[in-house]
Amino acid sequence: MLSPKKTKFRKQFKGRIHGVAKGGTDLNFGQYGLKALDPERVNAREIEAARRAITREMKRMGRVWIRIFPDVPVSSKPTEVRMGKGKGAPEFWACRVKPGRIMFEIDGVSEEIAREALRLGAAKLSVRTRFVQRIAE
Amino acid sequence: MTAAKQLKAVARDRVGKGAARALRRNGQLPAVIYGDGKAAAPIALDANMMNRLIYAGGFMTTIFEVEVDGKTHRVIPRDFALDPVKDFPLHIDFLRVAAGQTLTVDVPVHFINGETSPGIKNGGVLNVVRHTVELEVPADRIPESIQVDLAGTQMGDSIHISSVTLPQGTKPTIDRDFTVATIATPAGLGAAVEAEEAAVAEAQKAEAEKSE
Repeated sequence: MLSPKKTKFRKQFKGRIHGVAKGGTDLNFGQYGLKALDPERVNAREIEAARRAITREMKRMGRVWIRIFPDVPVSSKPTEVRMGKGKGAPEFWACRVKPGRIMFEIDGVSEEIAREALRLGAAKLSVRTRFVQRIAE
Repeated sequence: MTAAKQLKAVARDRVGKGAARALRRNGQLPAVIYGDGKAAAPIALDANMMNRLIYAGGFMTTIFEVEVDGKTHRVIPRDFALDPVKDFPLHIDFLRVAAGQTLTVDVPVHFINGETSPGIKNGGVLNVVRHTVELEVPADRIPESIQVDLAGTQMGDSIHISSVTLPQGTKPTIDRDFTVATIATPAGLGAAVEAEEAAVAEAQKAEAEKSE
């Protein structure tokens, strides 16, 4: 699973995701991609599950690029613990995704396989997505 | 190169965020024509038509003749902004093209003979490093695309710009011999070959045991 090598601080505020993506909204590497339609916090497990689903459907041919990185530590309190006594321990890493963000790109496979692979990958994600492809040149 | 396409536009008297949004609400697309030492001219185009033109392909290498209130401007698209979520056009920049001018244009790269490449036949993946190449071209002879021949390429090969035949009168803006594409070995291929070899060895072993 993806996670930062080291961080300056162990815990972060929850925050809110406002607006649409300013960058990372175009396909940069591959022919096909998966674009987020909603603001959502996508965790590292989802990203890894989606990557596996995509590469399996592509029969491990072609190439996959992951355009998001989970760099937000999310903490939670243990069960049956009363409120207070400070913030919980970091539990997992997540990525704040804004609408319009390209999350995955793939290349080296036919459009049919790309659509199916990204459909299966999208099913693992907690965010609504759309299949996109490079503008014909 | 293709012949210049005709476009009809109207001049905009108001510019800015509010005016541009008002135009978009009325099915029009704000755009601007600039360059050639003249003042910038804000215009409005039909949004549906421009959406079709952008997605039809070859938009950035096509010369347009835009008729604005009876006056014709010879232009080339320089940039277009798309909605980040829904990918419909928000704005287009056009550059005025004078006769005999040399332009810097991002020309798309097309790959041919991929099916006859031994590297791709053996499971290699065409890794496109540059989907477009920035070329200096004469304004009256803008190439639609650059053809890169993949015939005879092996896995692990790199195709550099020096090995690509460029259209006459054009030259790349980058001085060094940059890579256009590579034939990469997919991550799964090594594991797949190992698995196949293991299966063959197992079958041979089972056959040998049976014969004993």
